[in-house]
Amino acid sequence: MNEALVVVVRGVIGFFTLLIFARILGKQELNQLTFFDYVFGITIGSIAASLTTDLTSRAWPHWIGLTLWTLLVAVLQLITLKWRNASKYIDGEPTVVIMNGKIMEDAMRKLRYRTSDLLGQLRLKDVFDLSQVEFAVLESNGQLSVLKKSQFQTVTAQDLNISTDYQGIGTELIYDGVIVEQNLKQVNLDQSWLDDQLRKRGIGDPSEIFLANLDTQGNLYIDSYRDRIQDLSDIEDYKKPH
Amino acid sequence: MVSGSYLKQARGENDNFPDNLTLVKENVRKADWESAQHHLEDTEKAWEEVLPRIQFSMERGEINNLTVSLARARAAIMAQDKPGALMELEEAASHWHRLGN
Repeated sequence: MNEALVVVVRGVIGFFTLLIFARILGKQELNQLTFFDYVFGITIGSIAASLTTDLTSRAWPHWIGLTLWTLLVAVLQLITLKWRNASKYIDGEPTVVIMNGKIMEDAMRKLRYRTSDLLGQLRLKDVFDLSQVEFAVLESNGQLSVLKKSQFQTVTAQDLNISTDYQGIGTELIYDGVIVEQNLKQVNLDQSWLDDQLRKRGIGDPSEIFLANLDTQGNLYIDSYRDRIQDLSDIEDYKKPH
Repeated sequence: MVSGSYLKQARGENDNFPDNLTLVKENVRKADWESAQHHLEDTEKAWEEVLPRIQFSMERGEINNLTVSLARARAAIMAQDKPGALMELEEAASHWHRLGN
């Protein structure tokens, strides 16, 4: 029995199974995960690891375990999408921990959420003074949403009656030295326009460019591979070993 | 992952493990030690042929146990120990049966 070869084959099976299952389960960001999602991730990761290296048992039961867990979570996802009450029970509900500037001690005790946790999460939201907070809500994924008292909120352009231009999402026109034709067409431009823009900036060929991005105001941001920086600031604290 | 029970079936003349094992058992019962040794060698060769095919879907423990049973059976046949040889051959048959099931 060639154990290394068996591990290679089982590893490939486990890797692609995990990849496909992760895609099936959707696009939740890591910081949107609830505690259960996090535990689920660890569990299927652990099963996939056993599938790969635990040669004392067959791969099949591990694969079944992996599939079952994914299936159950997919079913739970469907249930929470369809029924709001089930979603409340399964994913948990957001809890108000500061209401009208008052800390809700009982709610925090129920959640086993400490004052130091609250203060820490407020600091992460750039709030260092509790008296500035009107509402704070502990979300089901453990993050804290903060609504500052109106007098402490940041002034916006609307508050000052200043008109602003539309600002949408920029479009990548060159990525890693290659022109993205599809994006160029999407913004109703062609390659001759792009060549013209590059020539104006003294660039002969798109392959010299790492990234070219066009914003909605028509400004073209270009970053070439050669950065031509005169005084490179060194942020290292220690001399490199080599 | 579930191909083991299919892949352990004989594909040619030299990889028929259960038939060869049955022959060894018959030889041991008749105390025909020379033939038993000869057929046990065939059984071991058959096992070596089947093993690369089934290794991906089987338990390492079961594979090792079967290999050890065959080694013990070889020693029992060399010592012309009938009960011992039959015990080990039955155990090997049992391991073979459990592979993939």
